[in-house]
Amino acid sequence: MSLLPHWLVLTAHGEQVADTAHAAAGHGAAEGGGLPTSLPNAVTLVNDALHHPETGIMPFLHHFEVVLFAFVILTFMCIVAMRVYKNRKLIPGRLQAIVEMLVDGLSNFFIGIVGEKYGPRYVPFLGTLFVYILLMNFAGLIPFLHSSTANLNTTAALAICVFLHVQGSAIKHLGIGKWIYHLMGEPRDVITWVLVPINLPIHIIGELAKPFSLALRLFGNITGEDVLIAAFVGLGVLSLGFLHSPVGLPLHVPFIFLALLTSTIQALVFSLLAAVYFSLLLPHEHHEEEE
Amino acid sequence: MDYQTALGFALPIGLALAGVGSALGLGRAVGSAMEAMGRQPEAAGKIQLGMIIGAALIEALTIYSLVGFFVLSGKIGG
Repeated sequence: MSLLPHWLVLTAHGEQVADTAHAAAGHGAAEGGGLPTSLPNAVTLVNDALHHPETGIMPFLHHFEVVLFAFVILTFMCIVAMRVYKNRKLIPGRLQAIVEMLVDGLSNFFIGIVGEKYGPRYVPFLGTLFVYILLMNFAGLIPFLHSSTANLNTTAALAICVFLHVQGSAIKHLGIGKWIYHLMGEPRDVITWVLVPINLPIHIIGELAKPFSLALRLFGNITGEDVLIAAFVGLGVLSLGFLHSPVGLPLHVPFIFLALLTSTIQALVFSLLAAVYFSLLLPHEHHEEEE
Repeated sequence: MDYQTALGFALPIGLALAGVGSALGLGRAVGSAMEAMGRQPEAAGKIQLGMIIGAALIEALTIYSLVGFFVLSGKIGG
């Protein structure tokens, strides 16, 4: 019994199974007999095994576990990128071929949205945004890892980065005067000048609403799929409670596939919307737009 | 009726209403996308991309409601 983690040790009754199941789910657990709201990850498992130490490095790691996992993903990305760059050859090996495919596909995709002129400048930012968010979303599906995007702080930070970059590039390329002119709705004749006091607040609120919606969309989707998977894991453990078995039915497997799909789509939508915000504010090209 | 009972009533109903709205919207969007893809199969890639983006934007409204649900459901059972 001591070889199993304490949350896998089942006792006689179903409700006690629920107790241990949600006691195991770490700080995201529901109070009093509900299903768990998040699966345990490496930090919460170590924290529980050491019985919540007050001193040492564990309180820091537990408090900042979201940042820790974001750094883990960043380190993974940096290691892959550095390895591919250092050993690059004209005839690529497998890893280099995969990374080149990814970079080429993302570059074409984002240049198609932002336009030929400004596209190449923003492809690094948008491409990294996509890969970073994708990897962070997928990390929630890997055992012992936790998706940092399931926390509003991470998604808000990413959304603020996008907002500042978009507005900063607009100011840099348009100039402050033309940027404010654009925000006023580009008044040309008397009627549009008269409507400026309505247009300006509407546009400003619209620009401010964009990072809010980006952050909340990503956070809500990823937390929703985390809670869904955790709830079905709890159900699976509950369903075999009468057998006192240490494992439960894998009822959550279909939802892992759903989570893969929504993680990819949400990463795509975040970076795509960032690209669209760039293309809306940057000066429009004068040839007719391709559909 | 205390606020916890009121929340216990309102939260699932609110979330379900948001779900109904987004289901209707998504049905229309995906339906038109399917029709367009049927008319012009060579444009299917672009139409599919636009459909996915539109679906994510429509679904975002339900997700906002879900986020509100998460925030408020912590207040029940205080």
